[in-house]
Amino acid sequence: MTTTFEKLKAGDAIDGPAFAVSRESIRLFCDASLDYNPLHLDDEYMKGNFGKTNFGGIIMHGMNNFGLISRMITDWAYPAGAIHRRLETRWVKPVRPGDTIQPSGIIKAKQVTEKSRWVLIDVVVKNQTGEKVATGEALVEFPRDLFCQ
Amino acid sequence: MAEAQAFETDFWKDANLRKVWDEIVPGEPRKTIPYTLTKDAIELYCKSVGETHPIYFDEAYARTTRYGGLIAPPSIHILLMFSCTPADDWMRSPGTVNAGQSWSYHVPARPGDVITLQARALDKFIKRERLFVVHDNVFFNQKGDVICSGRGWTIRPM
Repeated sequence: MTTTFEKLKAGDAIDGPAFAVSRESIRLFCDASLDYNPLHLDDEYMKGNFGKTNFGGIIMHGMNNFGLISRMITDWAYPAGAIHRRLETRWVKPVRPGDTIQPSGIIKAKQVTEKSRWVLIDVVVKNQTGEKVATGEALVEFPRDLFCQ
Repeated sequence: MAEAQAFETDFWKDANLRKVWDEIVPGEPRKTIPYTLTKDAIELYCKSVGETHPIYFDEAYARTTRYGGLIAPPSIHILLMFSCTPADDWMRSPGTVNAGQSWSYHVPARPGDVITLQARALDKFIKRERLFVVHDNVFFNQKGDVICSGRGWTIRPM
């Protein structure tokens, strides 16, 4: 069923893709993003403390969560002719090799403005035990000149 | 991947050239470099997060869409942040921890775009013994159109 602005209502759910995190997936994200921060590469470095925090080993890029949420939003928006306009996120827990993470969203509100129509979406990424690793909010525009894809 | 080969992947190298929290001046522009976004770079980024939508890969399909041709995923700014900044940029300091961000999207980036960045630290503060810097960034294409703008919080290494 094609999503339309009219049919959407608060509480509607969006399911995102499950993503298996491995040392290889983290290394691939380094190469794709050019972010070679040793947080994601260097086990020896990660044995140390970061202020009061000890991660105990390499962690996934927080922005990998961001990329997955963005993928969920665009894959949901494109068929409806809608446009991903904003994403705000913060990280709640580190993600490690061996974790499986999955983003999801819940429609929070709809807004009609002078020139367009907007949908606010609460987003979350959870790990395999159901813990939240990232939270945020997305904004999707449903232009009146719908151009469905 | 010519771009990736030219890129210094050892973030410890040149670490002494990068500004520490004390030296970062809110409001002062960061040095940036223009970057030509390639189809290969977009495809590698897509692979890393599992993007499979044909609008990023299939020219014939992309021509039938609102965008009239191939585009990059909105989150391509994750790559642009590093490809548009030099090796001594403080965002590369080992131990920099991303604490959150918001990004707004205007026109999509496309393969072949020559992308420029205007960026600065906007604020810095101390909270619970941690050193924070707020950075703000706007990416433009070669026509001067805004691709996206974003603001982020990082915790600086101590």
